[in-house]
Order: sequence, then C-alpha cells, then structure tokens
Amino acid sequence: MTGSMLSALAWRPFLDPIDAHGWWFLLVVPMSFGIAVVYRAVRMERLEGYWKRVLTLTAQIVISMILLGIASYVFVQVVVPALAPMPD
Amino acid sequence: MPTSADTPQRFDPLAAILALAFPGAGHWFLGERKRAVLIAAGVLGLFFSGLLVGGIDVVDSKEDRWWFVGQALVGPVAFATDYVHQNRIKGIDPRTGVLRSANPDETRDGSGRLAPALGGQRPPATKSLGKMNELGTLFACIAGMMNLIVALDAAFPGRREERA
Repeated sequence: MTGSMLSALAWRPFLDPIDAHGWWFLLVVPMSFGIAVVYRAVRMERLEGYWKRVLTLTAQIVISMILLGIASYVFVQVVVPALAPMPD
Repeated sequence: MPTSADTPQRFDPLAAILALAFPGAGHWFLGERKRAVLIAAGVLGLFFSGLLVGGIDVVDSKEDRWWFVGQALVGPVAFATDYVHQNRIKGIDPRTGVLRSANPDETRDGSGRLAPALGGQRPPATKSLGKMNELGTLFACIAGMMNLIVALDAAFPGRREERA
C-alpha cells in the first residue's frame, strides 16, 4: 500500500485538507459554480431557465480566469523581460 | 407614466438581518422560497466546500483575522465553526501557554493541552498549507461576500432587474 493510499484512508473530512496539490487549479470550477448559483438566484427576476444561466455564468468565469492566467503569464514572461532585460 | 426612478425604494431591514443570520432566510421571509433554497445551497455549499478543501483550519479568527472578517458574513455558521476550531481543535502549548494548532506529532489531551502523540494518536485536525489553505480560505471568504450581496438584495427587494 503506497503512502498516498494510506494518507487517503486516514483522511478526515472537514478536519484534514484534501490532497489536491496536483490538480488544485480544477477547483476553480466548483468555486465558479457556487458563485453562479448565488449570483443568478439573486439577479434573476423569474427563475425560468435558471440552471442554463448558471452553467453559462460558470463557463464565463472559468474562461475569464484562464484568459487572465494567460495574460499574466505573457506579461511576466514576455513583456517584463522585454521592458527590463536582466543583465547577463 | 411612472418610471422606476419615481418608484419609492422598498427597504426591509428585517430581511437583511435574517439573511445575515442564515443564508437564504431573508428571501424565505419575503416569501421567495425557491430563491431562498438556491441561495442557501450556494452560500453554504461554498463555505463547506472551503472546509472540505482546506479543513477546519481555514476558518480562524485568531490567525487569519482579515479573512475571517469576510467569512463571518456567512453568519453564525462561521462563528460556530471558528468556536469549534478555537475551543475543540486547537490546544494550549504546555511550554508557552499559548493556544495553537497541534503539530503532526502532537495530540490534544482531555484538558485541552497539547501533548506528544503516542502510537496511533493523531492531532485533532491537520493544519492546511499552501494551495489547499489558500483555496479553502478563499472558498469560505467568497461564501461570506456572496451572502453580503444576498443580504443587500433582501434589504432592497425591489431593486432586482432582469439582465440578459
């Protein structure tokens, strides 16, 4: 039995953190979904087509986060070195 | 013809207080039962997802005070979680007398003091580190901030409008 299997068996929900260090970025999906559930419940006058609007907003948030991540990567890795090159 | 600008704003402070007391209670009070259930599921879902991701360590009014300010907007649920964390999970350091989380090789005895763990014993909870702590804390704080929006919506129910 591997260490990670032993760790999973010993995991106590709500007391121990989950072992998601390898896929932590996927947690943006449930976070976005939770935000969308509340925001759409508050904003919509009538709740017709609620879940469709929730899924749409979830996708919009996730895609926006990905685009922001790409923009940050380009800024740090390309723009900043171009503006202020590191001395050799 | 009266416009929305001419309509007096309806203000319902009791609904706002109920919303801050328990997510969705303000809308339930206003008679919007389905909306209340969706709000409760969303806010509490975010809050307890945070606890699931980072463990109870993510709600800590002593060590993460400013994060707790945001989390506290979930209401008594957040304060109860913090109470359990401070009084049932953390222990008193035998050398310094300071309340703190147990280390991995420590446990908490019946008097609330931290002691070296013997065979098979574990700390009451594992302190989360790195991304798990950040994300768990963020989940719980976002839950509180969403509940603030909910409370404002309950306080001014006439302000809601359909947006495409």
